[in-house]
Amino acid sequence: MAPILSIDRVTKYFAGLTALKEVSFDLQPGGIYGLIGPNGAGKTTLLSILAGSIQPTSGTVVFQDRNVTGAKSFAMAQAGIVRTHQVPRPFRALSVLENVEVGVRFGRSQGSAGDLWDARRILEWVGIAHLADAPSVTLSVGDQKRLELARALATRPSLLLCDEVCSGLTEPETASVLRLLRKIQDAGTTILYVEHNLKAIMSVSHHVIVMNFGEKLAEGSPEAVQSDPSVIAAYIGRTA
Amino acid sequence: MNGAGKSGASARPRFAFAVAPLLLLAVLAALPAFSLGPNTVRLLFVTLVWVTISIAWNILGGFGGQVSFGFAVFYGLGAYTAALSVNSGVNSILSLLLAASVAVLASMLVGLPTFRLRGPYFAIATIGVSEAVRVVMTNVSMTGGASGYRIIETRPFHQLEHFYAALALAVVAVAVSMQVRHSKFGLALIAIREDEEAASDLGVNPYRTKLLAHALAAALTGAAGGVFAQYAAFIHPQGVFAFGIGVAILLMPIIGGIGTVWGPVIGAVVYGLIQEELIASFPQLHLLIYGSLLILIVLFEPAGIVGIARQIVPRLRARMEG
Amino acid sequence: MSAVDLLNLLIAALLQAGVYAAMSVGMTIIYGVMKIVNLAHAGFLMLGAYFVYELYARFHIDPLLGVLLAFPVFFLIGMSVHWVLVRRIPTSDQPTLTSLLLLFGLWLVLQNLGYVVWGNSDRAILTPRTLDVLQIGPISFPTVRLVVFGAALTSLGSLEFVLHKTWFGRAVRALMQNSDAGRIVGVNVERTARVAFGVGIAFAGAAGGLLAMIYSFSPDFGGPFLLRSFVVIVMGGLESFAGVAVGSVILAVVETFCILVLPANYQPAIAFSLLVLALIVLPEGVAGLWNKRRRWA
Repeated sequence: MAPILSIDRVTKYFAGLTALKEVSFDLQPGGIYGLIGPNGAGKTTLLSILAGSIQPTSGTVVFQDRNVTGAKSFAMAQAGIVRTHQVPRPFRALSVLENVEVGVRFGRSQGSAGDLWDARRILEWVGIAHLADAPSVTLSVGDQKRLELARALATRPSLLLCDEVCSGLTEPETASVLRLLRKIQDAGTTILYVEHNLKAIMSVSHHVIVMNFGEKLAEGSPEAVQSDPSVIAAYIGRTA
Repeated sequence: MNGAGKSGASARPRFAFAVAPLLLLAVLAALPAFSLGPNTVRLLFVTLVWVTISIAWNILGGFGGQVSFGFAVFYGLGAYTAALSVNSGVNSILSLLLAASVAVLASMLVGLPTFRLRGPYFAIATIGVSEAVRVVMTNVSMTGGASGYRIIETRPFHQLEHFYAALALAVVAVAVSMQVRHSKFGLALIAIREDEEAASDLGVNPYRTKLLAHALAAALTGAAGGVFAQYAAFIHPQGVFAFGIGVAILLMPIIGGIGTVWGPVIGAVVYGLIQEELIASFPQLHLLIYGSLLILIVLFEPAGIVGIARQIVPRLRARMEG
Repeated sequence: MSAVDLLNLLIAALLQAGVYAAMSVGMTIIYGVMKIVNLAHAGFLMLGAYFVYELYARFHIDPLLGVLLAFPVFFLIGMSVHWVLVRRIPTSDQPTLTSLLLLFGLWLVLQNLGYVVWGNSDRAILTPRTLDVLQIGPISFPTVRLVVFGAALTSLGSLEFVLHKTWFGRAVRALMQNSDAGRIVGVNVERTARVAFGVGIAFAGAAGGLLAMIYSFSPDFGGPFLLRSFVVIVMGGLESFAGVAVGSVILAVVETFCILVLPANYQPAIAFSLLVLALIVLPEGVAGLWNKRRRWA
C-alpha cells in the first residue's frame, strides 16, 4: 500500500539553529502515529512544516503522491492535511458553530450543497453540540480542545495533525479525547499525534516515531520504542 | 452573526431596527417634498458620500481587521478619474464606473506588496503609500498639479441630481455591506481578523481574501470620490488626497462601531454633522474632538457608538418593562 | 558635477542624517521597549519646538540650553502620558493597532493644543547662530546643523552606553527581547516601560527643540518627520541604536542624491516609498540582513 505521507530529509534552519535535520519517514493510511521526543526535539517544528505554517529549508514532503513541499497552510488544508493547535485558537468573535462553519466552508469539502458533513453534525460527533450557539471564548479547556478537533475535522482531512491535544486535561478528559481520536481513525482519517503525555500516546498509537535534537531517533511499535535503549537514554539523559 | 438564540419578547425591537433604515430611506428619497435650503441639501449630500466611504473602509478594516490609513488614495483617484472622463465627454454614470475601476487597480498596486505585512505594519505602509501618491498628484501637471482640476460645466447644475446619486451609492454600499457580512466571504474576513494563521490553517486564503476586500472597498470609495467630484466641479490634491481625509475615513467607522453594518453609517453621520457645523466656527476644535473620541473609544468602548448602544438598550428596556 | 560639489552634497547628506537620527531616537526607544509605534511622536516634536521657542522668545534662553531643559520637562510629561493613557492598553511582542490608534488620537489632541495656544502661523527661532557657517576649505558646514549632528551623536552614544553598561539598560534590553522572560527574572516591567516611555518622549521634545533651530514650525509640524522616523527605524532595525544611525544615513543619502535625478517636488515621496520598500523587503531592517549574513558564514 502506498504511504499517505512520505517525507524525505526534511531540514529546517532558524537563524543559527538547526531545528530539524534530515528527518524522513512514511505514514501508512488509516493509522494513529505518535510523535514523541524530549523538549526541543523539533516535534512542533515538524508538525508546523507538515501543516504548511512554516516552510522547510530543504527536503521533500509528498502527500498522496503529490509533492506539497513548501505549500502554505491553506493549500495544505485544501489538499487534505489539517492541524489542531496546542493552545486552542478559537475565533473569538464567533460562536462555536460558526467556528466550525469556517472549516466546513473553506476546507476540502467547500461546503457543497447537500453535503452531509455539516457543522452541527460535526459538533454532535465530537460531543459539544449542546454548546453550538455559545461564544467560543466561554468554553472550558477540554471543550476548546474538542472545538479545535471539530474545526479541523470540518475540513475533511485525510491526515489530521494533532498538537498536544491532551495537554492541560484531567485524566477522565484525556481518556475521553483519546476515545475521540480512535473514533476519528475508525472513520478513515490518518492521525499524526504529537504529545508529551507518554502514557496517552502509547495507548492510542499503533506506531511511534521518536525524535531528539531535530533528528529521527527511532520508530516502531510502542513496545519496541519503549524498550529501545537509545530512546530511554534520550529521555533519561534530559531529565538528569 | 452572534448566534445566541433570541426569545420572542425581544423580537419587537429587532423588527423596529429593521424598519428604521427603510423609513429613513423613504424620508431621504422624498427629500424635495421638504423644501430644504441648498445648504441643508449640501450637508446631506456630503454626509451620504461619507457614509459610502465609511462603509467601504469597514469592509476591509472592520470585517477584515486590516486598518488602512490610505483610503484617501482611492477617493482622490476616483475624483480625478471622474473629472477627467466627464471632461472628455463620458457620461456621468460611466465616469463613476471608470472611477471605481481605477480605484480597484490602485488597490491591487497597493495591496499586492503590502498585504504580506502583518496588521500594524500594513497600517504604517498605507500611510507611506498615501502620502507618496499625494505628493505625486500635487506635481503632475496634466491634472493641474497643486492648483487643482476643474470640470467644465456643460449642463446646468441641479443639486438634487447629485443628492440622489449620493443616496443611490450609499444604498448600494449598505446593501453590499450587509451581503458581505452574511456571506462566506464575510466569514473568511472575520476569521482572518480574529486569527489569520488559524484561518489559513483551515483553508482560508488570507492574501487573496484581503485583496478582494480591498478591491471592493476601493471601488465604493472611488465611486464616492467620483460623485463628489461631479458635485464640486473643482478638486485639488490637498482637498482629496490629504492625510486628514484618510484619517477621517477610518475615524467614522471606529466612532460608529467598527465591524458592524450600521456602525459606519452612524459614525459617518456624526462625523458629517460635526465637520460641517464646526469647521466654520471652531476650525481646529475638530482635531480635539476626534482625538479625544479616538482615545476614549480605544480605552473604554472599542465597539464605538454601537457598542454603547448595545449596553444601554437592554438596560433601558429592562427599566421600561420592570 | 565637480568633486567639490559631490563632497558638499555628501556632507549635506551626512548632516541631514544627523537630523534624522536625532528625531528618530525617541521613537526608537519606545518602539524597541514596548513595541508601540508612537504616532504622537510628531506632537511631542512640535511641543518641544514651541517649548524651546518660548524659552528663547520670552526669557532669552539660548536654544541649546532650552533643548537641555526640555529633557527633564518632557521626561515628566512622557511618564505622565504613560501613566494616564498608555499603561491601560494591552501590549504584546508585536505593535498593536490599539496602541497605534490611541497615540494617533493623542497626536490629534496635541495638534489642537498647539493651534489653540499658538495659532497657525509659522514660527522660527532666529539667533546669530542660525546663519553661521563654518568654512573648511571649499566645504561649508552650517553651524546649526553641526550642532544637531553633534547632539545626535551624543544621544546615540549615551544611549548605547546606558543600554549596554547599566542595570537599567540591561532591563530594557531584556524587555526588548522578551517581556515575559524579563518579568520572570525580576524586571519590573511596568516601571521600566514607564521610564522608557518617559525617556522616549524626553528625546522627542529635545529633538523638537533641535529641529526648531533649523526649520520653521507650526502646530502640524512633525508629520513629515514622523514618517521619516518610521523609515529610519524600519530600515535600521532594532538591535541597537547603531541601527538608527544606519537608517538615518541611508535615508538621508538616498534623499539627497535623488535630487540629482528627480525634481525636488517629488522628494517627500522618496521617504514614503523607501518606507514601503523597507517594510516589505527588509522587515528586520538592515540589521536583519547583517544577522543573516552571520548565519551563512
